Amino acid sequence: MLDKRKIRLMTKAAIYEKEYGEEDLKITSYYKKDYASLNTWVTLIWITAGYVLLGGILFLCFGEALLEGATIMRLVFLGAVALALYLVLVIFYGIGAGNFYSKKHIRAKQRVKKYLRDISRLEKMSKKKEIYRS
Amino acid sequence: MSTLLVWREKLQRLYASYSIYILKGIQFMLGLLLFGLINYNIGFMKMASSVICTIGLAVICTFLPMIVMVMAATVLILVHFYALSLPIAIVSAIIFLLMYIFYFRFTPKKAWLVLAAALAFGLKIPFVIPVAFGLMGTPVWIVPAVCGVISYYMVDFVKRSATALKSADADGIAANLTSFTKQVLGSKEMWLMIMAVVIGILVVNVVRSRAVSNAWKVASVSGSVVCLIVAAAGNMILEGNISYVSIVGSAALGIVLGLVLEFLFFSVDYSRTENIQFEDDEYYYYVKAVPKVGVSAPKKQVKHITEDTGNKNRNTEDILLTRSLSKELGIDKEKHK
Repeated sequence: MLDKRKIRLMTKAAIYEKEYGEEDLKITSYYKKDYASLNTWVTLIWITAGYVLLGGILFLCFGEALLEGATIMRLVFLGAVALALYLVLVIFYGIGAGNFYSKKHIRAKQRVKKYLRDISRLEKMSKKKEIYRS
Repeated sequence: MSTLLVWREKLQRLYASYSIYILKGIQFMLGLLLFGLINYNIGFMKMASSVICTIGLAVICTFLPMIVMVMAATVLILVHFYALSLPIAIVSAIIFLLMYIFYFRFTPKKAWLVLAAALAFGLKIPFVIPVAFGLMGTPVWIVPAVCGVISYYMVDFVKRSATALKSADADGIAANLTSFTKQVLGSKEMWLMIMAVVIGILVVNVVRSRAVSNAWKVASVSGSVVCLIVAAAGNMILEGNISYVSIVGSAALGIVLGLVLEFLFFSVDYSRTENIQFEDDEYYYYVKAVPKVGVSAPKKQVKHITEDTGNKNRNTEDILLTRSLSKELGIDKEKHK
């Protein structure tokens, strides 16, 4: 006999597995702190690479004008501005990425929790049925 | 109005029944339009700009997630740029990479918004974007909109100055690299449109989220007007060559789109608004409740007056088969419960 509750639970679990399953299991294999800090570091590396590329492009654009009649003081000032901008960017993205990945971990964990609860319900239902049959 | 609401209900039902096909159809059309526009405007590599390639890419991208379409469009643009000139391809690749690093790493699912923004600019309806993004999204949608505008202007610049860029010899690679970067990033028109789009999205989003009557209508009208004013004033000051017909037409289209979006996603009856005030131990509450408008679409019922005797045997067989199957699967018992 078809069990509507079982079908609903199985459909729910299948949808979850299709949408988030693989990624969520990967995320929840880390502790929240580990996951957030690892991804924040990865983000900071990307940001550094991006900053270098952006700097390169801007240098292509305005390099000539900036270096025209350049003195040591002016170069030091430019270096300090570049460093300050880099630090601002790193702090901004560091805090943002930390929050973003923490929230991502929390959401994934909640979804996995619900999924496991549904699975255990299904298991109980199957066991009940087996007992009833025997 | 009630007829329109019934139509909306019918559309919703139709979408619920055939959402897979409808979504895939829209994705295919979007792919066709996107790859077609790219190949039509900057088809420097003959092989990649063929009709077969356009249709093939659209078909492949139809069955894959939207991010694949974004990546395919990026690769196609870079391939065409490479066929024209290596420095242009390098600078463009760096600009696309920067977009990925600073934003799309975090929300790859929102990457299609860049396509929407670039397509709107390509179709000469730029001010549809602030209204649509402001009504349907959050202020964060400014980032994909800006990325879309930059991508469009990059492609547009290469299209307009293709001959000059192609004629540069191998010695002039460095000079070419510098001049292309300068001209793309220093384009006044691009920065003006970015400013108009950013201000437009913010205005639409802020007005839409206010608790005022007809917020969506006011938001789309004010957003379109603000975009129009910013673009026209900027064009006059910077002595640019933005077409006034295009910006006025797209602002009008933006208002129409706003009305359509409101009808589809935010149908409320402001005439039945209720303002309620109550309190508990800690707060006074001033609540404004606006009822949603909903009409159920009438269902067609077919009544058979004459019985079809020709199918009687088949019907009996069907009934018997259904009964035995229901009994076997246990559906019959549930129905009677």
